[in-house]
Amino acid sequence: MLELRRASNLDLGAGTPIHGGTEVVPQLRSGLLRTDTLVDVRSIVPRGVASDRIGAGATLREIEQSGEVPEALRDACRLAASPQLRAMGSLGGNLLQSTRCWYWRLNWPCRLHGGDECFAQAGEHGEHAIFANDYCASAHPSDVAAALVALDATLRTERRELELVDLFRVPTEDDRRATTLEEGELMLDVSLPPVEKSVYLKAMDRKRWAFPIVGVAGARIQGEIRIALAGVAPMPWLLEDGLDTATPLPRNAYKVELAAALVKRARAALA
Amino acid sequence: MARLIRTEKEVEGRYEEVWIVVEEDALEQWPAGPRRIVGQPAARIDGRERATGQAVYTADLALPGMLHTAVLRSPHPRARVTHLDLAPALALPGVHAAIGPGDIPQLVDECNYQGVAVAAVCADTLAEARAAVRAIDARFDVLEPLLDPDEAVARGHLLAEPRVRSRGDVERGFADADVVVEAEFRTQVVLHNSLETHQAIVEWVGDGVDVHISTQYIWGIRDGVAEGLGLPPDKVRVVCHYMGGGFGSKNSPDDYTFIAAELARRTQRAVKCALTRREEHTAAGNRNATIQRLRIGARSDGTLTAMSGEFVNAVGWGGWSSSTEGPMQMLYACPNVSTTTHGAKLNLPPMKAFRAPGFVEGTFGLEALLDELAAKLDIDPLELRRLNHADQDEVEGRAYSGKNLLECYRRAEAHWNRRHEVRSRSTDVVKRGVGMASQIWYGGGGPPSYAWVRVGSDGRAAVVTAMQDIGTGTRTAMAQIAAEELGIPLDHVTVSLGDSARGPYAAISAGSSTTPSMGPAVRAAAADARRQIDEIAEQRGTPDAPLAEIVALLEDAQILGKGARGPNPTGMQVLTFGVQVVEVAVDVETGEVTVERVAAVHDVGRVINPLGASSQIEGGIIQGIGHTLSEERLHDRVTGRLLTTTLESYRMPTIADVPEIVSELVDEPDPHLTNLGSKGLGEPPIVPIAAAIANAIRDATGADVRRLPISREEMLRALREAAAREKERVGAPARV
Amino acid sequence: MTQLSVNGHDYAVHGDVGTTLAETLRDELALTGTKVACAEGHCGACTVLVDGTPVLSCITLVHTVEGSEVTTIEGLRDHPLVDAFVRTDALQCGFCTPGQIVSAVALVSRTPDPSSDEIKHAMAGNICRCGAYPKIEEAIRTWRD
Repeated sequence: MLELRRASNLDLGAGTPIHGGTEVVPQLRSGLLRTDTLVDVRSIVPRGVASDRIGAGATLREIEQSGEVPEALRDACRLAASPQLRAMGSLGGNLLQSTRCWYWRLNWPCRLHGGDECFAQAGEHGEHAIFANDYCASAHPSDVAAALVALDATLRTERRELELVDLFRVPTEDDRRATTLEEGELMLDVSLPPVEKSVYLKAMDRKRWAFPIVGVAGARIQGEIRIALAGVAPMPWLLEDGLDTATPLPRNAYKVELAAALVKRARAALA
Repeated sequence: MARLIRTEKEVEGRYEEVWIVVEEDALEQWPAGPRRIVGQPAARIDGRERATGQAVYTADLALPGMLHTAVLRSPHPRARVTHLDLAPALALPGVHAAIGPGDIPQLVDECNYQGVAVAAVCADTLAEARAAVRAIDARFDVLEPLLDPDEAVARGHLLAEPRVRSRGDVERGFADADVVVEAEFRTQVVLHNSLETHQAIVEWVGDGVDVHISTQYIWGIRDGVAEGLGLPPDKVRVVCHYMGGGFGSKNSPDDYTFIAAELARRTQRAVKCALTRREEHTAAGNRNATIQRLRIGARSDGTLTAMSGEFVNAVGWGGWSSSTEGPMQMLYACPNVSTTTHGAKLNLPPMKAFRAPGFVEGTFGLEALLDELAAKLDIDPLELRRLNHADQDEVEGRAYSGKNLLECYRRAEAHWNRRHEVRSRSTDVVKRGVGMASQIWYGGGGPPSYAWVRVGSDGRAAVVTAMQDIGTGTRTAMAQIAAEELGIPLDHVTVSLGDSARGPYAAISAGSSTTPSMGPAVRAAAADARRQIDEIAEQRGTPDAPLAEIVALLEDAQILGKGARGPNPTGMQVLTFGVQVVEVAVDVETGEVTVERVAAVHDVGRVINPLGASSQIEGGIIQGIGHTLSEERLHDRVTGRLLTTTLESYRMPTIADVPEIVSELVDEPDPHLTNLGSKGLGEPPIVPIAAAIANAIRDATGADVRRLPISREEMLRALREAAAREKERVGAPARV
Repeated sequence: MTQLSVNGHDYAVHGDVGTTLAETLRDELALTGTKVACAEGHCGACTVLVDGTPVLSCITLVHTVEGSEVTTIEGLRDHPLVDAFVRTDALQCGFCTPGQIVSAVALVSRTPDPSSDEIKHAMAGNICRCGAYPKIEEAIRTWRD
């Protein structure tokens, strides 16, 4: 019997945190997530939106509609998901969302499910990663994560502060997880340095309501340009060494060409 | 006086001979042009029920004591069930019955496609039924599936013998050509994805069954269920008042109806079996993938001399091999045409009819290659179509009952002439262009179909039918026809439909056949009622009295009119025609294709409701944009298992993907077709849109897209290839 | 038992934790105007308003909306948008229509005179397989006529 508890303080106890539920509920119902207890954290997670600090409980819609946040973050929210999902889904939940890789979503016994094969590599990987894809070819689907990585955001949880990019990791044989959140750890907010200019460009399969084929976030901070990509690696990808280091699979090399075009445009917009 | 005759009936290009009842006093068609009610825009008479959520669809229906079903479907494209134990399922709470292979023909242990039904459980709640299915101990021996269409053809693994259709001498024709173009085109598997999934509720009542089902063909379900259960057809009652989309996929009972029937028989309860959305992606049919290897030859003046094509329909494990070669055979005047069509039998879910099956795919290849020919000949694409206009049907040498394609081309000129201005709005990065494509399809409907009209002393009429309205607005069109014929206001007419126990036989709502099949029957019934009223007026000595005055005399008596759909004109081809002109913008760096404007001109005979007609055109175009740009059902190439089984991974157009759509109907009654001269419009608008988009892309960028969907990957590939060709051309040494 | 307020009425509903708002509305309260077409939050057919915000009832746990005001299509029957949809023929099979109207109501409540871009942006989460989109946009643009 599933139980639902309402958290009243930052000590979560056992159970799976739920905020907007836009990942937790479908995953629960399709068997991807198994849990006995849901912990409703809506009353304990900050949700304010300001130009330099955004609560993990703020919805994408609230961030989209705020005139204060940097353009990259606002556009990443605006172009993400559907209007209903933006109204329901929290910033924190969006960062923690799982890959859309169909093999994973259909519960194939792949590496992320504890198995010993990545089915995408020999199979259909047209939507999958072009970086860090030798162990797991899944692509990270969050537009917002790429934007925050480009914006050099800092994440605050109830126990520590870390660079937002360090929330994510590439799954390995010893540790199959895509995030570094510890047991019972709760995200509280993200803070941003002063940003001179920022932009988010997204290539998707239809004009709205689609995950990024490639998303390019760019920010100019103290004269330095940071570029981060969505949809190209198992984690949001800070582009430090350029696209020449991409390792596309046989049928997703077009993503490199697409990324190059968008990165060029992002840099031009930030000049 | 009625008599019985044998005549020819066509549905979606397949012909059969049928017996029909014909009334002798045929009605004259109305003169062309909008009338008092017919030809005027009318809002749907059941619009409010649908909009407010009051309309009860099969998905909303809960009968007393109804049980819910979950189905165990093969997760493997090819497998043998080696062990199946239903006992763990039966032991769970709420479970009433479970069935497996051998209990009914639809449950199998030799699985030849993913999604075929193996076992089913019914329980008090859906959750309990699903838990029970999960508890079934089922083991599969997974076998190697056949997935590749060309391999199936090579191995002779086909649904039937290849269909060869030849006229003239293509060898000679190609030899006579000044220019020959050839190319291979590929189209993908496309899913109907009606928003209401396939489902039925079956209840045994007395010695018969009641079937509530989301369907396009009430009478076909009745016959199919009767045959499957060994019952006389009149012991099967089929009910469908509202249904949430079909597009061709809901023409037969399918496994869920027989599963529900058997579970209902065993439990003596009403049993609902509804497909989940993931099952809808898997086991509800599809438009099959195709491979088309086409060749066209023409003289330098643009006259076609020969066309040939090899078509491979990746049909799947069942269904039929649709007429992908139809456009090549039928659209243009060309004396030498030869096509061979294979229906490859693969370990993939069987195809089902989907809005102009075969012709959508075939028009894409044909019209795209014709534009390549036009470019090589340096002839304007629209002019090339005109030059090769077929004045009579060349396949069977028949006259057309009505054809206004040249008029469609003429009306398209205004849109076609925009292309210079459109191109001039290109930038370095975004190229704009205009493309067009012709449309040919069926849509004449056919007998039998019947209607009754009942007029009471209040001067109102009830049109009594047992047809279905699948969302195309046919209910409203029937009301308009009856009101027009009787001479009463539209809001004095009600139309009952949706119950085979409460009306006479009605045609399927597929193949664009409802309006041209039911419409004439309704008009005939209304005319019969009108005639009786006129006779009373005559007897009374007041032949010019208004209808309301005459029927006011009736008290409890009623005027009952009946009408039947007469035969189609013998020896004539009854077809619909059209043309679409599309404006696109292509981002040549990212491969993003944006359809900015579509102008559609269609010739479907007399238009009953211009408001409903424009909705059908818009809907067909938008569905076509989906299959052109973003929809694809994918399977894993290694195992054959389906990968795109949700509405997130299978991407249909949203409102943000919609271009400006301008639609026009020629609205010229087909003089030989029934007492209305109307043809169907459900399918024609989806036929040419893919080709028109591909041709617009070529106009904008010079790139030849050869496959659907035109994904970023395909667009970037085509752009790269076009750039390479351009480099070669520019870099080639000058000829002396 | 959970307290639920729907269209201004109070109900005590019985579903176990894990029951969705859509299941409660349709199965327990017989409010079948809200449709379920995918049950995974992908198509928008199940859209209802929770405190005025459009949400997907098929992935909303009923226990998380206790204390909120739920508005379904049944509570919007007299909204002028309903007439606008019928007048402009902004529906065909009608299965997605209640969800479309709910999303549209949320839009015009915030933005009574939305532009074409605003309409496309706000309505992109409501899939219509029949393709009634052009007239849905027209209905929203002309809802006050």
